[in-house]
Amino acid sequence: MRKLTIIILLIISSFELVSGQGLYSPGSPQDDGRFASSTKQVNQFFRRFNGEESADGSKRYYDTDAEYRDRTLRGKFISILFDNETSNVESQLKSDFLKEVLSENLPQYLAFHRGEWFSEVETTFIYKGKRENVTLFMKLQPEGLGYEWVVDKVNFAPFKNLFKKPVGDQKSFLHPMSHEIGFMNLRKAFQDSKLPEAYTPKEYEPDYLTLFLYEIKNGNLKFDNVLDVKFHFFQIDNWYFEVNQFNRPGFNTGWLISNLIKLKPGEKDVVQRYIYDQK
Amino acid sequence: MKKYISLFLFLFLAGTSVSMAQSETISPARKQAIDSLALEKVKDLSKYISIIGSKETQFSEANRVMDRAEELFAPDAEMGVSSLNRKEIAYYKVRRYFERLMALNYDRVNITWYDIHYISDLERQPDGRYVGVVTVYQRFEGTSLESGLNYRDTTKKDITIYVEKKQTQIAGRTIEFWDVMLGDIRVTETSA
Repeated sequence: MRKLTIIILLIISSFELVSGQGLYSPGSPQDDGRFASSTKQVNQFFRRFNGEESADGSKRYYDTDAEYRDRTLRGKFISILFDNETSNVESQLKSDFLKEVLSENLPQYLAFHRGEWFSEVETTFIYKGKRENVTLFMKLQPEGLGYEWVVDKVNFAPFKNLFKKPVGDQKSFLHPMSHEIGFMNLRKAFQDSKLPEAYTPKEYEPDYLTLFLYEIKNGNLKFDNVLDVKFHFFQIDNWYFEVNQFNRPGFNTGWLISNLIKLKPGEKDVVQRYIYDQK
Repeated sequence: MKKYISLFLFLFLAGTSVSMAQSETISPARKQAIDSLALEKVKDLSKYISIIGSKETQFSEANRVMDRAEELFAPDAEMGVSSLNRKEIAYYKVRRYFERLMALNYDRVNITWYDIHYISDLERQPDGRYVGVVTVYQRFEGTSLESGLNYRDTTKKDITIYVEKKQTQIAGRTIEFWDVMLGDIRVTETSA
């Protein structure tokens, strides 16, 4: 008991050693509503999209709360989750999206662990003495007792420019009787040719992530910085949207939807290919 | 008085966790208690930052406060700072960040914190610890008397928190409690 008393006294006295102006001290500047309305974290984007926090953001709703995922609340939240200043998402498209997401029979929600969403991170690396942009596509995966973000794909211009498989008459090849000469003509493929990728199957796709890791391990690529982060969501059936961070004056700020596309059958793959290969 | 509340929370968490030690998920009530504890740590940090930045703080006192502030953090925590004009992140070890703050060349520095915060959900990471992010907003005002220049900015601070179940021995009994450590902090200048 004496030990406990000493511990308590020690803790109390340590708290009183310093004084100063901290969070919620008298005289703290008051938010005029701009920070309250800003979608401050991607986590808050999820909560607002799903209607899992109170209108003023002071309370997190759980499935035991009456207001949890309230349809009216969600409708109001999702309306303010769009970038209404620069992104020009058509209002009709927004309404169609809202109608489907808020459907009374089959409402759709976002889920952190459900996949079908990923991050695009614009970074810089030093490569051969030059600062180069590298786009990393990150995804969440289960690992051990929890989850982790991992690099799923990478886009790096010098790698892309490295592989330009010729086509048609321009493409050299190993003739179909090469086996009869013990593939002695491989010398031409790998010693004389500057385009060895010409000798790969039609379906061959370079694995940029492996190359990327190889270059890091060899010390040729060194991490420099993170420039930008955005998120791509495919969780809502037949819809794609992009979420970016908007740091600007006003009330329409933070993590907001900057692009919205209604997907026809088969278009999901097209959009994903575009995202992965756009640069 | 507020500090007594955090003490109460400490004991409350310690007491309740004995019976819930096997629980893998964090209940809303537990989450609320952890949020309060995390916010206490963030409040402590904000107070320390204000003291370190203040020109009225003696050098030796500032160093002592820096030691205290460092104790709030998990090892290897970093501050990543960017501004409106510079998207690139400048990385600083926590101690270095405090030292730079102390050395700022203003005659008067006033650091205050907006009355708003946001605490994320807690996610479990591979090693079993939980991780979350607390967002707060800081206003900085620096005045140089000689040049008469005033500098003012508002920064958003996204503070990583690690939440871990720990054990301690009190009067021969093993008590489990939830502890919160601060981690990397992303500092972004806002347009406010």
